[in-house]
Amino acid sequence: MLIRKKAMKIIVNEIGNEIIISANGFISRDLFNVCDKENNFYMIGSMGLASSISLGIAIKKPKNQIFVFDGDGNILMNFGSLVTIGSIKPKNLVHIVFDNSRHASTGGQPTNSKFIKIEKIAQKCNYSHVFRVQNEQEIIKVLKKIKAISGPIMILIKINHGGKIGNRIEIPPIEIKQRFMTNLEKT
Amino acid sequence: MTKNFQSDLFNFLLKNGVENFIGVPDSTLKKFIDEGLKKKKILISTREEEAIGIAVGMSLSKSKSLVFMQNAGFANSLSTITSLVQLYGIPLIFLIGWRGYLPNDAPEHEKIGKIQPELIKNLGLISKIVTEKNWKDSCLWALKQNSKNLACGLIIRREFVD
Repeated sequence: MLIRKKAMKIIVNEIGNEIIISANGFISRDLFNVCDKENNFYMIGSMGLASSISLGIAIKKPKNQIFVFDGDGNILMNFGSLVTIGSIKPKNLVHIVFDNSRHASTGGQPTNSKFIKIEKIAQKCNYSHVFRVQNEQEIIKVLKKIKAISGPIMILIKINHGGKIGNRIEIPPIEIKQRFMTNLEKT
Repeated sequence: MTKNFQSDLFNFLLKNGVENFIGVPDSTLKKFIDEGLKKKKILISTREEEAIGIAVGMSLSKSKSLVFMQNAGFANSLSTITSLVQLYGIPLIFLIGWRGYLPNDAPEHEKIGKIQPELIKNLGLISKIVTEKNWKDSCLWALKQNSKNLACGLIIRREFVD
């Protein structure tokens, strides 16, 4: 298994300049440090809601593929989101869950994701395709595969807890929003 | 009883550019929601915070959104309002049903109904109480706040007991 930052690097290298909505805590910090770009929306508060924000964008921008960078702690807090996404079935939504079975940002306390399979629940909630992967080859393979299939797709990546804590996001929230919106309007 | 102005309220907002109506149902807002369902414009979410998240995504896509909820759900939403809506300056309309407005409403609504005005004030959420008389002006006011990138609340009092 990889650490989150390494898994994230592999993904952003593979998907290129796609729209990403990242969950709060270390996920957004890692994305900011690995690959800051204007069409990243760093959700720095409102834990749990990255997939909901992404659903709103996916509905309104059906021609764009929307990537969610979520965590196990985040999605466990807003499991109802799987139901709503599965009811609407946006074809352009790719829901990536970095699952370390930890609340990493608050000090590594355990989550209950080690007892259940989040992607199986997504499947039961009408996600078109779900995947569970954990090494570099598997991640690259699945990212190539999803280019030819419709969403909603969930890719759950089992990752190791740990790694250096990324720097805080230096961009003020209003600016994160403005540059994201400007970029989204152009697409 | 709930007033008929609620269906006019819905249609007026729709006509004036509000494209998305997302939330968790409330009996105080029944006629508003029913009108929206009839027009196939309502998206029901599992929780109020989720509704706000979806509405934020739509707002980022430059599509105007309203989130409806009971004040119990408003209490659920405080952190989402402060750390998402207000932090990023997202222009949304919150339509909130005020349970516990009448002193003889059900006991579970009593406390939140009582502290609601103070809660909204402390939150810094600008709001208006919408009535049969002022609904059109209230809508125009709300749309004006949104055009300044401000979120705001429209409150409907529960003036009946069932």
